[in-house]
Amino acid sequence: MTPGARDPERRVVITGMGVMTPIGERVDDYFESLLAGRSAVTRWRDVDERCASRIGGDMSGFDLDAHLRGAGDAYPAALVQSARRLMRPTPLSGRITAPAAMQAFVDAGLPHASLPPERFGHVLAGHNVNSNYVYEGHKVYLEEPEYIDPLYGVVSEDTDVLSVISELLTLRGPSFTVGGACATGNLGIMVATDLLRSGRVDAALVTGASNDLDPPSLHSWVIIEALSFKSFNDDPARASRPFDALREGFVPSQGAAAVVLETLAGARARGARVRAEVLGAAGASDASRLTKPDQNGQVRAMREALRDARVDPRAVDYVNAHATSTPLGDAVEVAAIKEVFGEHAYRMPINATKSMLGHCLSAAGLVELVATVLQMERGVLHPTINQERKDPELDLDFVPNQARPARIDVGISNAFGFGGLNSCVVVGRPS
Amino acid sequence: MSDKRVTRDEMFAVVKSNIQEIVEGAKGIDIKETDSMRDFGADSLEIVEVVSRSMKDLKIKVPRTELSGARSLKDLLDLFEKSAAAPPS
Repeated sequence: MTPGARDPERRVVITGMGVMTPIGERVDDYFESLLAGRSAVTRWRDVDERCASRIGGDMSGFDLDAHLRGAGDAYPAALVQSARRLMRPTPLSGRITAPAAMQAFVDAGLPHASLPPERFGHVLAGHNVNSNYVYEGHKVYLEEPEYIDPLYGVVSEDTDVLSVISELLTLRGPSFTVGGACATGNLGIMVATDLLRSGRVDAALVTGASNDLDPPSLHSWVIIEALSFKSFNDDPARASRPFDALREGFVPSQGAAAVVLETLAGARARGARVRAEVLGAAGASDASRLTKPDQNGQVRAMREALRDARVDPRAVDYVNAHATSTPLGDAVEVAAIKEVFGEHAYRMPINATKSMLGHCLSAAGLVELVATVLQMERGVLHPTINQERKDPELDLDFVPNQARPARIDVGISNAFGFGGLNSCVVVGRPS
Repeated sequence: MSDKRVTRDEMFAVVKSNIQEIVEGAKGIDIKETDSMRDFGADSLEIVEVVSRSMKDLKIKVPRTELSGARSLKDLLDLFEKSAAAPPS
């Protein structure tokens, strides 16, 4: 079957994208870093000394005013003024995340000129996004309840990031958060796609929120050996190494991304630039609380997304793998890809954005969707870096260490989360 | 500011600094004790933020029931002075 066989009213396209990452605070800079194989991973600048997680993609020192000053005319002056006012009491997650949403909105051509705000939905992909702010608030409360941030009960909620961005961009349609551990971003895309297909909205912003990570969570992830914490603390750029034989765990990162979705008919009617089509998406649960990945659940997510997209597996040109750099996770994903694609798996490039960026958790699906669309648009694959020692069992083409040209008409992006939460998004070149 | 008694002028300086930082409409304004934060367009959340942050900066605590009666900055400073003079609880 060919992609895009749906009615234009039910086809969903991407018309705007934005990113905020440690290796680029706008889309072009981000992609340049990915092509150059630049790692985002450093030692945490300000972590509790007792916490055994020492490295990550660190945006804890992010300065929104400096970002806005440095952005030149990338944002309209009125939007900058509103952002300064609204973000002043906003904790770190919202301050990192809002500019990604602003970029996506600007990239889509400030669509309010032709789209009523009441028909514009907002899905915030993210949960526990302010956990470090919550942790710091608890410490203040234990010391003296009167001195807690009086806005704590408002701005600590995930929905505050949703609502402050909706206020900033005047989005008045259905607005809510979606959570699914590391599959959150893809599930946000899936839900927004359904909103558009059902006709409930004419456009939707999907915002992948940055997680402000707290020391207890980081330390706990070390205890269960989910993180890289043994071999690369003194050489952090080498720590995130999906598929490589020396991989030892994921590397958590801060970062955000956002996309504007519309129906193809709506985008055409207002003359918007279509960057890519969301051909399909799916989620599948392992019905298990465990962190252990499950091949069957991953296979079901990919197959269901391809079925939803009406795409034959042999028509897929590229996989943006979940690939967190854990020993078991990467091996299971490779096995799942082989099961879904058969021999075609050996002819299809597969890369790992996380090898540069680390794992952006709630936002991972969004930052990787943006990377997928950019590779499709520009005809070049970013590398999977830190490929030093081949794992003999992982024998697919992971685009090792060097970017290279490729034509991508259809790509998929996987995201699998703790608790058996599997997801896959299928995107296509605009037709 | 914990060892010596903080003067009213010092308290007012802290409050003014927080108002200037938090309330958009007060930026660059010469703030007087007779003013109310509402005069500068402060919303209810901004007012509570100024008050809480000032109490924390000055290391004083005023019961929330008393704060709700303050109308002007003068009323607020009166409560702050009273609290600063009281023995620690």
